[in-house]
Amino acid sequence: MNDQSEASDEPEPSRKRYELEETGFNEVPKKWRKFYRIWEGALDTLAPNEILCPVCKVVIRSVKEIRVGDRLYCMPCMSRLLVVEAEDGTLTTDVLY
Amino acid sequence: MADFLSQYSIQRWLEMCPQGYLENTVYGHSPELREPELVVENETLREESIRTTVQLVVGERCALAASSGLVNAAPDFPSKRFLATQTLDEARHVEIFTRRLFDLGVTEDNLESTIDNYANPHLVKFAEVLLEKVDSGDFIAGVVGQNIVLEGMAFSVFEMLEAVSKQVNPKFAETLSGTIADERRHVGFGENRIGSLIREHPERKADVERMQAEMTYHMLATFSEAFQGNAAATEEARSIAAAEGAGPETAVWHGTDLAAASPEDMEAVLADTVLGEFKTRLGRIGLEYQSPPVPA
Repeated sequence: MNDQSEASDEPEPSRKRYELEETGFNEVPKKWRKFYRIWEGALDTLAPNEILCPVCKVVIRSVKEIRVGDRLYCMPCMSRLLVVEAEDGTLTTDVLY
Repeated sequence: MADFLSQYSIQRWLEMCPQGYLENTVYGHSPELREPELVVENETLREESIRTTVQLVVGERCALAASSGLVNAAPDFPSKRFLATQTLDEARHVEIFTRRLFDLGVTEDNLESTIDNYANPHLVKFAEVLLEKVDSGDFIAGVVGQNIVLEGMAFSVFEMLEAVSKQVNPKFAETLSGTIADERRHVGFGENRIGSLIREHPERKADVERMQAEMTYHMLATFSEAFQGNAAATEEARSIAAAEGAGPETAVWHGTDLAAASPEDMEAVLADTVLGEFKTRLGRIGLEYQSPPVPA
């Protein structure tokens, strides 16, 4: 879970991997801070390894490209999320209660 | 059970808040920051700042009473433990916004009369609707009212105020930033806890939705009073700040430049944002947003 992705145990070679750096986000304990950043609003462009938490509006960052079916954890609001495809083809998330 | 709380603990809260984003802060901001001189010295700006801050104190006092009241009503220990941390968060919010009133020149002797004088009556009513549910031990309605309706409103109001304050009042902006971080956990708890509970108790939907409509009515009336009922004073304060070079150049929030928007436009973007979030959030947990009769 420390890469915030719970879907697969083995890294998939076809997925692009990312080196995460600190973004200044300080709302979680230090070791997890690089997995999040503040959302800059509607004009904010998300990278392929990023997705917006619909509950608390923080951008979740993964070490690998995010795909449909991935399960993510948003530590700032404690939400468990499932990545799904939106009607417009972009990726979004369902909250798992 | 509240499984989503399995990784939440008092220890986690300590690492996130006091040892995290609140580290090295004093009353929620960097110790060296002060209220801008113009705000403290100009009577119009000072009164507008007091009026705004009083609403925050009123809202946070309600949140403190609600979250502490919900500790005993919670059906499981993880929820009680979370609400205990939320209670301290809310007490801190009451303290830091009360401290801002003192920084603006309100004396301890005049605190309660100042709050009585400036508190928006619709916001007081909004709080009463929620606290009636909490006092009756209604956990589901209490959490929806507190952690989804009240916190959802606070989340957007704080974001808007932070956007306006960033350039011109870093002290207030920092204070708000820490409360926004707290609100993320609170809305997360509300949505995740009620998301599972409402499925177990679908018979409660109608009653909870009625409460949401009533709270929304008073929320929109609060916004109307704050922006339109007080438009002349708001515009005067903005003119003074602009003339002194102390107003923000731009403060874009949800597509609206708050530095240039009319009070009506500011009310519209805030109400649209909060209601949009309500509808989405309530829909996710299986509740249908109920429009209030007036004012909408």
